[in-house]
Amino acid sequence: MGSLMAQIVAVVAMNIRSLPQRIWMSIATLVAVGIVVAVLLAFLALSNGFEKTLNTSGSDKIAVMLRAGSQGEMSSVLLRDQLNIMELAPGISRDANGPVVSAELYVIVDGTKRSTNTPVNLPLRGLELSGVELRENFSIVEGRMFEPGRNELVVGEAVQTEFSGFELNKKVRLGQSEWTVVGVFSAGGSVFGSELWGDLKTVQSQFNRGSSAQLLRAKLATPGDVSEIQAYIENEPQLNLDVKTEVAYYAEQSKGITNVIFYLGWPLAIAMALGALAGALNTMYNSVAQRSMEIATLRAIGFSGVSAFIGTLVESLALAAIGGVLGSLAAYLFFDGLTTSTLSGNFTQVVFDFKLSADSFISGLKLALIVGFIGGFFPALRAARLPVVIAFKNAT
Amino acid sequence: MTAERLFDLKSISKSFSKGKESIAIFEGLNMVIDKGDFVAIMGPSGSGKTTLLNMLGGVDKPTKGEILYAGKGIEKYSEGQLANWRAAHIGFIFQFYNLMPMLTAAKNVELPLLLKKMSSSQRKKSVAAALELVGLADRAKHKPDELSGGQQQRVAIARAIVSDPDLLLCDEPTGDLDRATATEILETLQLLNKDFGKTIVMVTHDPAAAKYAKRCVHLDKGEFVEKELVA
Amino acid sequence: MSDFYLIRKNLTRNKLRLSLNSFAIFIAFLLFGVLASLQAAFDAGVELSSEQRMIVTNKINFTQPMPLAYVNKVRAVEGVASVTHANWFGAYYQDPQKPLVGFAVDAESYLEVYEEFVLAPEQREAWFNNRIGIVVGDQMARTLGWKVGDRLPVSSSIFTQKDGSSVWEMEVMGIFTGNDEQFDTNYFLLHYKYFIETQSFGGDWIGWITIKTTDPALNDEVSKTIDAQFANSPAETKTTSEKQFSKAFVEQFGNIGLMITSIVGAAFFTILFIVGNSMALSVRERTNEIAVLKTIGFQAPRIFKMVLSESILLALLGGCLGLFVANVLVNGAAQAPQLRSMLPNLVLTDMVAFKALGLMLVLGLVTGILPAWRAMKLNTIDALNRR
Ligand SMILES: Nc1ncnc2c1ncn2[C@@H]1O[C@H](COP(=O)(O)OP(=O)(O)OP(=O)(O)O)[C@@H](O)[C@H]1O
Ligand SMILES: [Mg+2]
Repeated sequence: MGSLMAQIVAVVAMNIRSLPQRIWMSIATLVAVGIVVAVLLAFLALSNGFEKTLNTSGSDKIAVMLRAGSQGEMSSVLLRDQLNIMELAPGISRDANGPVVSAELYVIVDGTKRSTNTPVNLPLRGLELSGVELRENFSIVEGRMFEPGRNELVVGEAVQTEFSGFELNKKVRLGQSEWTVVGVFSAGGSVFGSELWGDLKTVQSQFNRGSSAQLLRAKLATPGDVSEIQAYIENEPQLNLDVKTEVAYYAEQSKGITNVIFYLGWPLAIAMALGALAGALNTMYNSVAQRSMEIATLRAIGFSGVSAFIGTLVESLALAAIGGVLGSLAAYLFFDGLTTSTLSGNFTQVVFDFKLSADSFISGLKLALIVGFIGGFFPALRAARLPVVIAFKNAT
Repeated sequence: MTAERLFDLKSISKSFSKGKESIAIFEGLNMVIDKGDFVAIMGPSGSGKTTLLNMLGGVDKPTKGEILYAGKGIEKYSEGQLANWRAAHIGFIFQFYNLMPMLTAAKNVELPLLLKKMSSSQRKKSVAAALELVGLADRAKHKPDELSGGQQQRVAIARAIVSDPDLLLCDEPTGDLDRATATEILETLQLLNKDFGKTIVMVTHDPAAAKYAKRCVHLDKGEFVEKELVA
Repeated sequence: MSDFYLIRKNLTRNKLRLSLNSFAIFIAFLLFGVLASLQAAFDAGVELSSEQRMIVTNKINFTQPMPLAYVNKVRAVEGVASVTHANWFGAYYQDPQKPLVGFAVDAESYLEVYEEFVLAPEQREAWFNNRIGIVVGDQMARTLGWKVGDRLPVSSSIFTQKDGSSVWEMEVMGIFTGNDEQFDTNYFLLHYKYFIETQSFGGDWIGWITIKTTDPALNDEVSKTIDAQFANSPAETKTTSEKQFSKAFVEQFGNIGLMITSIVGAAFFTILFIVGNSMALSVRERTNEIAVLKTIGFQAPRIFKMVLSESILLALLGGCLGLFVANVLVNGAAQAPQLRSMLPNLVLTDMVAFKALGLMLVLGLVTGILPAWRAMKLNTIDALNRR
């Protein structure tokens, strides 16, 4: 066993020494694997970041009520009398002021994306100050909160960084009227950070919405349990609503886009990995061909086929691993923390960051090693089975 | 009787420069080759036999001096002109055969005909004739690695003669072969010289091989030493 | 035998290397074919939109309504050839998770403005004369299995009828197609009258107005006039060309073009490296043979051409295969209902195929040029008689 170890070490050392002879092919493999890993990580960071933003938006202590069948806030309508009946529902937590609920209006307004200077849709949420308290991560970081009854806005931090025109104290024209940005809020990385907030009644009147809302948020008496509310809705013929926990609502909202990113990202990475695999196989078969004389000579002296096998496999795995690490590094440097925004299910922009997780790095490295392993395995088999006689033949 | 003159080498000098140093191989070498001649060139390793042959074949040029082929100085030709000239007049036979491994014997022989304007049926005829002449008509469909060394060299000879050149240049054509096979090859060359009137210049280390030639020259330290052949 | 025979034999001499290289190239062009088709599908909305059409929306946002009376006011503007209007219906059929695209329109004027719309004359007549009649795009009809004569309960996720139900009964009167293969046929049209008279909000309001100008050169003028007319009214308008409108919408997804270009670029860079090296290696292995060819009398430029042709042939071989499979995949994916609603124009267009062919030539040239150059410049004397 010890001697086999020594043989393997000797063969690996010889491989490494002969590497400069095929340096360009080796670099090609390295680069190919690196690029594959970088592309995969970019996609994973994208879907990770998006998912994370939507996940931090939801709490299981909160229920969300929308008109039945609506895809999201945009397509929902709740009339005032529906809201009044809804507030009486059991299962909603109550405090000194009555039920802890927030009726909210959701309107699309125009913004401009800083990076491309193109027009985008931004969400303007009209809500009461009590609604703000239903957001656990909410805090004003600059300026102050809007005052009810006035045309004042507070904007999420992400809105400020990604879209232009919403600087503090600036007047902006939304719809018919002029609004003043009086504060900037942090929403702990949730989707609310991509929103503009104003007073519910003001938004209702400025956008001709009467007293209707689009969504009702309510604090649950028992976290995670919407069954009481559900039963109440079913018994009230006037209520045609869906109720979900906030967590479930945002998970549903994010599903479409994370699926697209995920189902586009993996097949792409796998297809590219197959291309890189072809490159790795090419490199390693070439390496075996180049060293065939040397391998046969070693075998003639008495080295085992196993050592030739492992020597080749190690070379391939090493190349792929280096490529994988370089690719991860590149992805980390270029993509991690990059902020971007896209259109969400509500026809409005959601701002989120590329986020690389430890899991993504592991996936990337795994992919690299799989390429390295398969790319080395078959050539290594050939190396191990190389007929010893060629050592005695004229090299041609 | 004065034979027609094929080559006239006039005070050829050749030197290779390695960095600042330059090594002279020949200085003021003269040589004449007549049509129909069969010259063996012998000499110690490194004496410049291959270099001389390369110059005759127009793949190398002298540093100084003229190489007249049928009265024309080929050393002044451009690369392109030389290539055409070689295609028209010269057949090469190498020590290691140098056949294309992915082509059959027939296709290998056909290669030089790609440089001629010939119909494919004409080409087929020429190839068949050349293979017939070297005694390999039945091996036309075989690839080089399915042939023995002697057979491969005969394919190489067929390739050299297929376009009917005036001159065959052979660099140690039997250097890689056993005695009996070498004899076959040499007999073929002799036949080509005697019956088909090909002029042959052959470099060899083997005195027995040199005996097949009409005359033998010895190259040593850049000088010719003409030796009478003992038949 | 010809030079091409030699090129082919050289290409196929190392079968393993040939398959690995063409596979790598295959992957690159598979990705290109699929991704470029995706991008083209995204851009098709913009490409196909007419220069002559403009869209008038509520200035607040395109989701905000406008009064129906605007239609006639817009029609009176100088330079406007024809006018139609539409409302978003927010449709779904049975499954609320699978939204359908449906507009409530004024049938006659709609067909006048959208000339690329192809509908059989008798189906057109039948639709005009049936209050609950709808016409369905060819692709949508095929996905859902709807046929002319079907009576269907179609739901809205936004609107309710006056009786509280959100289900409308509709009857398929015709199936329409477009005069271009990328024309979106994944939607249906119902009558505005039927919609507005049954829905519970009441009122005579519309979603947006589409106009056709007499001359695209007048567009700027016309849009200014229209927007000025409604300035300081409860519903101010924004008039943009259809192209700008579609472009603004597509751009909101983020820079899809850049993303696709980077991925394809990365894939090509990788393949370039792999195949280029492999080509260089196989020419290096052939040094001796190339020297023999030159000695026999082959001209240097001819050898250059032969090596270059070999690399181009390789690129074409893997590339065409990749493009072919990409075409199969794209056609298959276009049948998937989820993708169809998102990207109704998904096809591998001739333009993409031509670009791919161009890229194959470039790939072949780039990977072959250095080895070919080396082969051409190869010093015969050095290469021969040296073992
Ligand atoms: N390209 C070159 N650069 C430098 N020196 C060269 C070159 N080619 C040949 N020489 C030198 O020229 C001399 C003659 O070489 P050549 O190959 O002609 O010898 P040869 O007589 O054919 O020897 P052998 O019998 O070993 O084949 C040798 O000393 C060789 O080292
Ligand atoms: Mg020699």
